[in-house]
Amino acid sequence: MVGVRSHVTLNVNQAPLDIEIDHRWTLLHVLRDELGLTGAKRGCDRGECGACTVLLDGKPICSCQMLAMQVGDRQVTTIESLGDSSNLNPIQQAFLDKDGGQCGFCTPGFLLSTKALLDSNANPSEWDIRNGLAGNLCRCNAYGRIIESVKEAARLIAEG
Amino acid sequence: MAYNVVGKSVPRYDLPEKLTGESKYAGDIKLPGMLHAKVLRSPHPHARILSIDASAAEALTGVHAVLTPFNTPTGRVAPDLAILDTTVRFVGDEVAAVAADSEDAAQEALASIKVEYEVLPFVTDPREAIKSYATAIHSGGNLIGGEPLILSRGNIEEGFAEADLVVEESFTTPAHAGAALEPRVAVASWDGDRLTVWKSSRGVHADKLSLASALQIGQENVHVIGPTMGAGYGNKDETRLAAIVSALAKSAGRPVRLELTREEEFVAGRKRHSTETTVKVGVKNDGTVTAIHTITLMDTGAYLSSGPGVVRRAGQGALYLYRCANVQYDGYLTYTNQPSGGSYRALGAPQGHFALESTMEKVAEALGMDSLEFRLKNHVGPEGQPGERITPADQIIDTQPVEGGVPFSSNGLQQCLELGSEAIDWQGRHERNANQSGSRLRGVGMGMFIYRGGPGTPTNAWMTLNADGTLQVTAGTMDVGEGNSTAIPQMVAEELGVAYEDVKVLFGDSDITPEAPITSGSTATFSTGQAALNATKELKSKILAAASESMGMPANNLEIANGVVKAKDGIASMTLAEVAAITGQIRTEASLTPGSTDFIVNSFGAHFAEVEVDTVTGNVDVLHYVAAHDSGNVINPQLATNQVEGGVSQMLGFALTEQMLTDPGSGVTLNGSFLEHKGATIQEFPNIDVIFADVYDPVGPFGMKALGEPPNIGVAPAIINAIYDAIGVRIHDLPATPDKILDALDRKEREGRA
Repeated sequence: MVGVRSHVTLNVNQAPLDIEIDHRWTLLHVLRDELGLTGAKRGCDRGECGACTVLLDGKPICSCQMLAMQVGDRQVTTIESLGDSSNLNPIQQAFLDKDGGQCGFCTPGFLLSTKALLDSNANPSEWDIRNGLAGNLCRCNAYGRIIESVKEAARLIAEG
Repeated sequence: MAYNVVGKSVPRYDLPEKLTGESKYAGDIKLPGMLHAKVLRSPHPHARILSIDASAAEALTGVHAVLTPFNTPTGRVAPDLAILDTTVRFVGDEVAAVAADSEDAAQEALASIKVEYEVLPFVTDPREAIKSYATAIHSGGNLIGGEPLILSRGNIEEGFAEADLVVEESFTTPAHAGAALEPRVAVASWDGDRLTVWKSSRGVHADKLSLASALQIGQENVHVIGPTMGAGYGNKDETRLAAIVSALAKSAGRPVRLELTREEEFVAGRKRHSTETTVKVGVKNDGTVTAIHTITLMDTGAYLSSGPGVVRRAGQGALYLYRCANVQYDGYLTYTNQPSGGSYRALGAPQGHFALESTMEKVAEALGMDSLEFRLKNHVGPEGQPGERITPADQIIDTQPVEGGVPFSSNGLQQCLELGSEAIDWQGRHERNANQSGSRLRGVGMGMFIYRGGPGTPTNAWMTLNADGTLQVTAGTMDVGEGNSTAIPQMVAEELGVAYEDVKVLFGDSDITPEAPITSGSTATFSTGQAALNATKELKSKILAAASESMGMPANNLEIANGVVKAKDGIASMTLAEVAAITGQIRTEASLTPGSTDFIVNSFGAHFAEVEVDTVTGNVDVLHYVAAHDSGNVINPQLATNQVEGGVSQMLGFALTEQMLTDPGSGVTLNGSFLEHKGATIQEFPNIDVIFADVYDPVGPFGMKALGEPPNIGVAPAIINAIYDAIGVRIHDLPATPDKILDALDRKEREGRA
């Protein structure tokens, strides 16, 4: 099975990448299998679990539900653009301090949804947090610690 | 007891890499030349494969290997499980597999494989499956072992004869998917005769044995690596996928990767076993329990997997939670042509405790006793059950005993009942929920539980002081997401007198770690932790001996604090790096069979829920939840709290929404998706208070006991009893979906009018 391919420029983590892609490939496939950005996870490949969450122009999307061809010139942000493990950004630090994860498979998606939430709402209520993260499943059900982590992240960011 | 590291909420060991996307899970492994596999699955619930014509698939461009039952190594993955078999036993069972350049190419090739089936009679109902005329799914018949597992203490006939009142109730629980977010993945690569497999695993050494058996090669030729685990919940122990990719990789001469789709996960992943349980309880008018007889019929589906352990665990609450001289448990485990059961967090204990604790609620009601009072009166105490010890004095006591006459190492059940009931304000529940009007009604319920765990099977650990002074704990165990790779170095650091950050962890690689059992039964931190602690004690004495010689001071005048060896009464000191510079690398090893010859080591708890039931929609909201646990001394409060909250929320699905459904007429799974097997989201996560009883276990390392699975056990009883308190109807068949609640309310109303 050979699909139609095109050369496109994808803006991933603020770097333009020239890449040849099959028109049928999802953004998740391109990130994981073509670009080696494996922080976005394939939990269901059908838009149910949110493990593949990335930001598109700052808004969280399920990257398994978008064809890479549809991205156009919009900016894609993946977990790899946040801090690395020796230099965590405030959201990551908050999730570390408050134990906002267990197995970690859903964690990149939760962090990116949190970033989108806090970028648009610096001081979210608990209702805002639950609503903002409702598209991400955590089967370990670490939701209690995740909610605490988001509150802590808002506090760390406010402190600068 | 005051500790420096134990009891502190240090950060989860492997969380930084999980927060940055750097963690490598099995699905992130990419090897040069790696092919992608897909599996052809059976459309029939039971059939014999007469022939397979894969020539068209093999001829396709990009296809490198096709595996069928006719060209597969004939070893066993498990006693009743081949790599691929000429009999298929459920809709979705593996028939054949293809390795190709891409997943798409492999998927396309599946369509051109021609399979000739002889369709066989099938049975999906466990009650039918155990009848003598039912079609046999494996040779030897459907009822596992040919007879029920019968465990008893005392004499139930005598116990029921003593009773003033007998209550008998029946319950069912559905098949329930573990549904870890990470699908099962395996990658296999051969280097000559030597196989390396990366897989989602909870036991690399057990996987090694199973793969060697299946592929008929020597254990020394199998290397299993368990990358970061996208959660197990006890649910990823089968090795059939890894055996399939290994055989494909051998045939193709290239590495092969297989990742299940989400639907395959739901269909072909292993499930919590469905059960049907009857509990019969005899009591005296003063509330004394005189007899408990429990019968469970459990469906293991097409393959046995961990079924015998699960059916055993389903009876433990009934055998041991209530003080009672006369108990019996009859556990029937049967094959059917349903998708296979398997181990899932707490095995059969949630099913068994749901039936037991629902029945006991009814017993208390029949006696006119408050159900908390009834439990405070009757729960098993520190002294254990009445009766005579049977286990010889020098033998380790089973953590799931039947016999009486053996005390617990510690038993904080009463504390859990008292602290938990205070936190939910049990005494005030009827007052605050009196005079409710409108369609939304509130109620409070509870359930208590007992769980084995802690002592497991023999295990090993190594401690290493490297030549540069760094420290490493090495063990064959896996951290399946629960955090043993944090708790074990905490205990090691405490014993040695160093900082938590100074102990590196190496787990989960069968080539470079010592043998360890699978991370199961809530035993890993207790058992492998004790082995690590023993190795640490020996390392410590070697370090002190070397420092003693170098410093010219007796070793018993030296101690290690903050990572430095120093004189207890002076200022002389040596860093561990300075010691290591003299000694070179030191490695100590410890092996042990964990457990106690004097005590039963068990964990306990009591859960309480306040719910609001909408009598118009049948929806249940959990307003307040209290989980009180005796897991001994808590090594890391933040991780422990996360573990309890997570277990509670996970099992709200079991109580209220989640069930795997198959069509009885065809065996087809009907709801293989997260939306249709719907668990709690962050929206439903309730207000949970987590309470740990003040218990320091004399057997467990640093006083700890098992915690991994216990949070899952008390949820269904607490929720279902709370629903009963709210609306006066009892749900006997989980999950308590809105349609069942509305049906039960209708029935109650009709009966009220009649």
